Amino acid sequence: MVTEQAPTTAAPPSGAGPRRKPRRNLAPWLLLTPAGVAVLLVTVIPIGFLLFASFTDYDQRSLFTGEFSMVGLAQYVEIFTSGEFWKSVLRTIWFTAAMVLGTIVIGTGVAQLMTRVSAGVRYVVTVILILAWAMPNVASSMVWNWLFQPGYGVVNWLLTQLQVFGDMTNTAWANNTALAYIAIWMLVVWQAVPFVALTLYAALTQIPKDPIEAAWVDGATGWQVWWKVIMPFLRPTFLLVTIMSIIWDANVFNQIWLVSAGGPGNSTSTLGVYAFKKAFVGFEVGTGSAIAVITLLLLVAVTSVYIRNLLRSGEDL
Amino acid sequence: VSISQPTKPRRRSLRHWRANTLGILFSLVWVFPVYWMINTAFKPRSEVMTSTPTFFPSQPTLHNFIVAITQTNFLLNLRNSVIVVFITVAVSILLGLFAAAALTRFRFTGRRPIMVILLLVQMIPITSLLIPMFLIFNQVGLLGTYLGLILAYVATVLPFSIWVMRGFYVGVPLSIDEAARIDGANTWQVLTKILFPLVAPGVIATGIFAFITAWNDYILAYIFMKKETMYTLTVWLASFHTPKTGTDFGGLMAGSVLFSLPVVVFFLLIQRRLVTGISAGSVKG
Repeated sequence: MVTEQAPTTAAPPSGAGPRRKPRRNLAPWLLLTPAGVAVLLVTVIPIGFLLFASFTDYDQRSLFTGEFSMVGLAQYVEIFTSGEFWKSVLRTIWFTAAMVLGTIVIGTGVAQLMTRVSAGVRYVVTVILILAWAMPNVASSMVWNWLFQPGYGVVNWLLTQLQVFGDMTNTAWANNTALAYIAIWMLVVWQAVPFVALTLYAALTQIPKDPIEAAWVDGATGWQVWWKVIMPFLRPTFLLVTIMSIIWDANVFNQIWLVSAGGPGNSTSTLGVYAFKKAFVGFEVGTGSAIAVITLLLLVAVTSVYIRNLLRSGEDL
Repeated sequence: VSISQPTKPRRRSLRHWRANTLGILFSLVWVFPVYWMINTAFKPRSEVMTSTPTFFPSQPTLHNFIVAITQTNFLLNLRNSVIVVFITVAVSILLGLFAAAALTRFRFTGRRPIMVILLLVQMIPITSLLIPMFLIFNQVGLLGTYLGLILAYVATVLPFSIWVMRGFYVGVPLSIDEAARIDGANTWQVLTKILFPLVAPGVIATGIFAFITAWNDYILAYIFMKKETMYTLTVWLASFHTPKTGTDFGGLMAGSVLFSLPVVVFFLLIQRRLVTGISAGSVKG
């Protein structure tokens, strides 16, 4: 990231003359106004409204009549005492952890691999990574439904040919909790690995060669070189890709909704899917709003770690 | 830069060979879903719905594409997507261009809090915007309209556009503004004559990022656009079916190819900026 230079209006160089008296400048505010109004209108007000709705009993009837009543913290009490909410919190946490872990481990492996292969293979790997990354996730979810289709899916066919799991021809992945998780995990990781692999590869190519060669000469093992010499260089990049993966994976919605619809039952409903189902399937909009508020707060908590880090790393916002 | 242990030439070529094999194996696994999508898209129906899949279409056909384009709402829904996405992109670029200039070329009280708010706003999960927008749009009659969807897309795209644009402004040395000022240019002239042309590559990158985000949205359009004629392409794809055949997987894969194509092309165009652009702090999935 390029370091920001001291802007013009700050700390005028000495001897610039009386013309440079600190003036109150309206220009930045004028420039900010259109975007500010837009953010206020489409983000701040809706979030305020979400907060408001979470204190009401807004439901299907209210959509038509516009009538609802304030219920205070009742929605929150109901959510916190419902087992389904806590289950979806746990699901979100462990499924996010599983996706992030898979992405980071495979991504690191691929980045390493890319430093060792010949230029031609590296080009092929890069293009394929970008293809997987570029696929819109609605399209990739459709492809997944086809790959795992009972009766005709090629994955079912391949697994049956392996003769390890028995005849899987008619296995309906979305109807089995564990299998649905596996399919969605593969889908998300397939598309998340490219960013991690390419970013880590870029970081690996920036590492100076000398300390690594010195370590080899001193008789260090492969693991020692990796942990003691390479890792310290990679740490900031690792932190970045991990935090971004957490934010992205905790927000995965389309893939879950389009592959398993959060089912069977609620068994693959993460927080986002759970809030969505409450609000738009059961039309308990008040309850859905309260869940969305809690999700928002949790995410902001995670994110603030990232922002603190950004500030601490000397990034001049 | 190779970070593996230095070895004798013969052992090195062996390592190279092993790494290349692994690299090709990885590529085959990773490309498989894309390959299978394209493979299926060109197969006739009899070859799609078979219990023993074929790895190349024995009789390649464009039938699936023709069906997807002519016998569904594809063209109508494509038009909706194009209208909504392009207005979103234009608005985001314009507002982003101004806002990012303010945040990088001037130092004023409140600048830092605005940057932090900008970062935070990017993290808002989509469901948290979807629910209140649905309620508000329901009240004011914006459900099912282009305007409603455009407003929702601006919400998801604008903060991130400002953030990406900012990166491009930061890359332009402040001495350039300074020189223009000394030559007597006022703030507006510095912006329009000097800075905007210099950050033009940023406009393109921001535009592509915004395009991809809005083009790929599913859930907002799915909830807001209830009429099939008002669907965007994502909703069209997710609800793909032809009345006669139920889910037609050949057609579905052809549709997926058609829908993915512009995004894949854009990705390949900006691939070099992808990693740096996103690492620079733009945090959108």
